[in-house]
Amino acid sequence: MTENGDVFIEPFRRLVADLTDPAAIRAIENGGDWKFMWAVLCESGFLDALVAEDAGGAGLSLADAFPLITALGEYAVPLPFAETMIARHLLSTAGVEAPEDIPILLAAPSSIQPFAGIARHALVQEGVAIALVECAPDGDDPFRLRGANVISAGKELARFGAESDQLLHTAAAVTAAQMAGSMVRMFDMAMVHANERKQFGRPLSKFQAIQHQLAVMAEQVISAQISARSAYQVGGFDLARVAAAKVRANEAAAEASAIAHAVHAAIGMTEEFDLQLYSRRLKQSQLAFGSEAFWAPKLAKLRLSAGCHTTADFIRTKLQDNPAV
Amino acid sequence: MPLSFNNFPATTIPDHAEALRAPCKQFIAETIGDMPPHRRARTWAGFDADFSRKLAAKGWIGLTMPKEYGGAGLDPFCRFVLVEELLAAGAPVAAHWIGDRQSAPLLLHYGTEEQRQFFLPKICAGELFFCIGMSEPNSGSDLASVRSNAQRTDEGWRINGQKIWTTYAHKSHYMIALIRTSGTSEDRQAGLSQFLIDLSSPGVTVKPITLGTGDTDFNEVFFEDVIVPHDALVGTEGEGWSQVNAELAFERSGPERIYSSLVLLDLWAELLGDEPSQSDKALLGKFISQLAALRSMSISITGLLAEGKSPVTEAALFKDMGTGVEQDIPTRIAEAVAADPFASPDPELMRTLAFLMQANHAFSLRGGTREILRGMIARGLGLR
Repeated sequence: MTENGDVFIEPFRRLVADLTDPAAIRAIENGGDWKFMWAVLCESGFLDALVAEDAGGAGLSLADAFPLITALGEYAVPLPFAETMIARHLLSTAGVEAPEDIPILLAAPSSIQPFAGIARHALVQEGVAIALVECAPDGDDPFRLRGANVISAGKELARFGAESDQLLHTAAAVTAAQMAGSMVRMFDMAMVHANERKQFGRPLSKFQAIQHQLAVMAEQVISAQISARSAYQVGGFDLARVAAAKVRANEAAAEASAIAHAVHAAIGMTEEFDLQLYSRRLKQSQLAFGSEAFWAPKLAKLRLSAGCHTTADFIRTKLQDNPAV
Repeated sequence: MPLSFNNFPATTIPDHAEALRAPCKQFIAETIGDMPPHRRARTWAGFDADFSRKLAAKGWIGLTMPKEYGGAGLDPFCRFVLVEELLAAGAPVAAHWIGDRQSAPLLLHYGTEEQRQFFLPKICAGELFFCIGMSEPNSGSDLASVRSNAQRTDEGWRINGQKIWTTYAHKSHYMIALIRTSGTSEDRQAGLSQFLIDLSSPGVTVKPITLGTGDTDFNEVFFEDVIVPHDALVGTEGEGWSQVNAELAFERSGPERIYSSLVLLDLWAELLGDEPSQSDKALLGKFISQLAALRSMSISITGLLAEGKSPVTEAALFKDMGTGVEQDIPTRIAEAVAADPFASPDPELMRTLAFLMQANHAFSLRGGTREILRGMIARGLGLR
């Protein structure tokens, strides 16, 4: 991260932490008014964090924005703020004026459309173009997260040239980073619970079986964070890095949720306990914008056609950490 | 999160280290270009003294040792590049591996000037091969319970006891052994010291152990009134435990914890043909995704080590995860290869697979078991 990004992250984390009292998250998820929280987020000025400075934004790079996006997952912000930040960046870069302060989805192909029940605008991809359209949710909201199985696109408001599948890569990268954030929160909750909850006369955290599970969860979460970080290091959302990040995020999510819930046992499954706020969202994300079964073969295809002698060569040339950007 | 990706800062291999990569690739192509995959799959368990001497002639053993001791005076990133290339190709590096990775750095840090001047140039020249004497019949993961003992006498230290699972003791010249110099196994970490033992000394008996694969990498080593000179003590008497622990981050953080099954993965991938199945591609992609994150972690730790830090918990976390992937590769490739019983698999693929399906259990045992590592991670998380 550049110094530029460092200056932003702590104020942003404080803002988001203050806004996301679990009662406020529940109220929005249950269909309550979301506009107050949205307005506070917009007033913070972060909505155009990635927009160039000469276009009125803060000019952050994707690498700078990465910790902002993971923070949105970590605090389970129940609104498409990361998606809108990225959408406004794409629009601005293409010279399209973004509609003022409204949520915009990254409605790439997906088995579920997160936040479709909230936003009335979306970016959709058509071949080598991305269009800004009005939209409406269609079908159920199976995770009760104000998502929808599908969206129906309405009136087109603008259109700009894009790489094919650019929107899908972008949406998957935004999802992978937020998943990494959600996993961090679930890990912290599992640690607190393991230290507080006593059985057989001692805290769960003193049992070796629990310690080892938490060690494995830490491995999975850190690996997902590192993989997602890598997708934000090359200026755009590159296929190999996004594919690796979403595969890792999905695999890690399965293991991390299983361990967090195992450590919490029955209480973690209740509506009243906050763990489900993060794990429910994580599970929806596993279904969003392609699973590991979608992305892993794409990564393999790149490897097989890259003409690399070894997989180590492929990883070095396509997936190596690139902190300079 | 008490331990997070912030412990693994995004790190680039500097250009001066990357510059070593092309010459490494060329050397590997010239020396082992026609070695079959099932032999290359042994990587750092493959012993070939001739190969090690050729590597030494290039100046590539003891890369991080100062030039005055016969080394190349390069940094840990250079060694990362060299080791990554050697392991990805499956070069037989076992002969010099322990001396290069552990014994030489240990002697540089804790050895006397005389020890450094005597041993380091010979290690760097590929003339002296080392093994490590840690485990004993009753001391495996519970290493602090070692009983082999040394008593100071007028003629030197008299050593009695036994080591086991000593990799390539039968082909090595010296062992660096963890030996009790005071107290009993009840005293645990206190009273342990490290010794340089010339394996040709009278009273040393080395008995190879043959594994189920048919390979003979391991040995039992017996010491019966073995006399080593007073200056065979490494570092400080009684400080052996902390000296051993100081090396753990080096031992656990390298590419050898993620590439042990890479020759198999690449051979299998090469044989997938033009139209691989969706499930085979999914498997390959999954491993690439896992290995890419792990490689980043290894380079991060290399950077921390280059800064003089001691990221022991990070190394434990990396190794536990990395060896899990190394173990998973043969298991899952076996599943994929036999998915179609009507097809005849490539014989070389089968030889390579058969070896790694039997060898992979060792990956999470050598250098600290899974259970020990998870305990260390838990300690790093503040759970114990």
